[in-house]
Amino acid sequence: MIEVRNISKTYQAGGQSVHAVNSANLHIEKGEFLSIVGHSGSGKTTLLSLMGGLTRPDSGTVVIDGVDLWRIDDNELSGFRNRKINFIYQFASLIPTLTSLENVMLPSAFGNWSGNTEERARELLGLVGLSDKLNSYPSELSGGQQRRVAIARAFINEPEVLLADEPTGDLDEDTEGEIFDLFKRFNEEKGLTFVLVTHSRELAGRTKRQVRMTNGILSEN
Amino acid sequence: MSISLFGIAEKNLRRKYFRSIAIALSVAVVAGTLFSVTTVMESVELSLKRGTARLGADLMVVPTEYEQKARAALLAGEPTTFFMDRDFLRRVRNVKGVKVAAPQLFLESANYACCDVAEARLIGFDPDVDFTIAPWVKQKLDRPLGPTEILIGREVSYDVGGAMTFYGQEFTIAGYLEMTGMKFLDNSVFLPLDTAMRMARESSSKAQTTLAVTEEQISTILVQIDPKFSPEQVAIYIEHDIDGVKAVVSEQVISSVRKQLFVLLRSILVVSVILWVMALLMIGVIFSMIVNERQREVGLLRAMGARRGAVFRLIMYEASTLSILGGMIGIAAGGGSLYALRNVIRTSLNVPYLWPEAGQFAGIILLCLFLAFLTGIVAALYPAFRSSRMEPYAAIRKGE
Repeated sequence: MIEVRNISKTYQAGGQSVHAVNSANLHIEKGEFLSIVGHSGSGKTTLLSLMGGLTRPDSGTVVIDGVDLWRIDDNELSGFRNRKINFIYQFASLIPTLTSLENVMLPSAFGNWSGNTEERARELLGLVGLSDKLNSYPSELSGGQQRRVAIARAFINEPEVLLADEPTGDLDEDTEGEIFDLFKRFNEEKGLTFVLVTHSRELAGRTKRQVRMTNGILSEN
Repeated sequence: MSISLFGIAEKNLRRKYFRSIAIALSVAVVAGTLFSVTTVMESVELSLKRGTARLGADLMVVPTEYEQKARAALLAGEPTTFFMDRDFLRRVRNVKGVKVAAPQLFLESANYACCDVAEARLIGFDPDVDFTIAPWVKQKLDRPLGPTEILIGREVSYDVGGAMTFYGQEFTIAGYLEMTGMKFLDNSVFLPLDTAMRMARESSSKAQTTLAVTEEQISTILVQIDPKFSPEQVAIYIEHDIDGVKAVVSEQVISSVRKQLFVLLRSILVVSVILWVMALLMIGVIFSMIVNERQREVGLLRAMGARRGAVFRLIMYEASTLSILGGMIGIAAGGGSLYALRNVIRTSLNVPYLWPEAGQFAGIILLCLFLAFLTGIVAALYPAFRSSRMEPYAAIRKGE
């Protein structure tokens, strides 16, 4: 389902070249639940962004469901992301001028979606325990609550691929467990391909497969 | 409930209330100034055109020593009285290029009980040859004015059918002329020359003061020229052939006023344009800052599937909404101020002044609204373009 071949990405920082990702190869089957572990600065987030088509690699290819992400134009790539991919970020990723409900529904503004998006958004917010916060703005929510809204948003387009970067960072242990169970449920029930970036070995251990990133080099764990 | 690009833009503007108001007000100041200046310029232009058309005369022949008074009467409507011999009329008619010459007599009402209105301008005209007032009489009344009938300018606050007394004689108001914006016409009372002469003759017995004018006196001769000649040519011929008179070219009087006034108004317009450019730069800088501040947000939207065009349109929606809102506020404020200060404007400009017609007004409003809209678009164009071209990941990282 996801084929990453010889992918590399280099940044310029302070006059020096930083090889964030160095000739990475990765094959992920449809419905797999994979974690990428590594220390901070090892290139995990960059690899995730390359896989999601958020940044162009210097070399190599990313093919998802037979589509080479960097052979299609930007409009097609945007449409592809809107329909098939979603992201959960390390940071609070809500739009501050929109309510929780509007934030969850937001991806629908950029595609031709069928069905009742509002109803689905309400369901998802219910699943993450925020039915009573539909009309709250991010400034009125705690860090953990904001993270849960972002997680609800991640499922709104019923993606085939979910790329999550430290998704449970702000959450307490119990909530982290609940959220991870939700991830597993979507993975098992809906066949969602899940790629989870984490520095937590315990969390990584709960996924079916782990790969390691060290100084930009990817290896199987 | 659904969520749209425009809905997102609207929410962004509402949540950043004070910033949105500040941007809108900047545009409002520019739009209001441009609207006010343009309206005043159009008002004066319309008034000059209509007044000149109503006047109908290509030339106005007056005694040489009263040339300046005549110009002041024409433009500022200052009541004035001067006379010349009626024989000049015959001589002007014989000048090359003169097609029609019609006499007019300027009188002033007295500050006594014999006159209902003191210091009003009374203009006597010859119904047989006059080409300014007489055609109106023919068209509107469809009959000659009676021996005790008068016409009034639009600013004379009496009703048709009502009565006015001058020099002890009561007259009935048969009608009023359309508004021209020229005080000379709008504030005057018009009566046939015969009626004026009879009033003068009988003033010694009917009024507290005698109106000292004879049958052989007129104040001015209005001239229509043969189209084969220019007004300036015929003016030269008249002044060459007849001593003691000055031929004032109506168009020149109007155009000299237009020039002076428009120099002033043009300066204000230039200042307005400079203001507009400064507002453009300021709003451009503000939008650059806004876009920088929201770079991560833009990256997130792109990650969700927003195309470059959608990001561009989002920022442009915000800019154009604020600028149109600012334009509307500015136009309303400018229009309100012009209306509230209309009498002050008229008095201080001391030239003909008439509000533009509805169609012209609508045109000015649309123009100013369009300029306001353009302000937002031009100011936000580069920041919107730059923002939409950034890679999603780079944008997300930029906000770190």
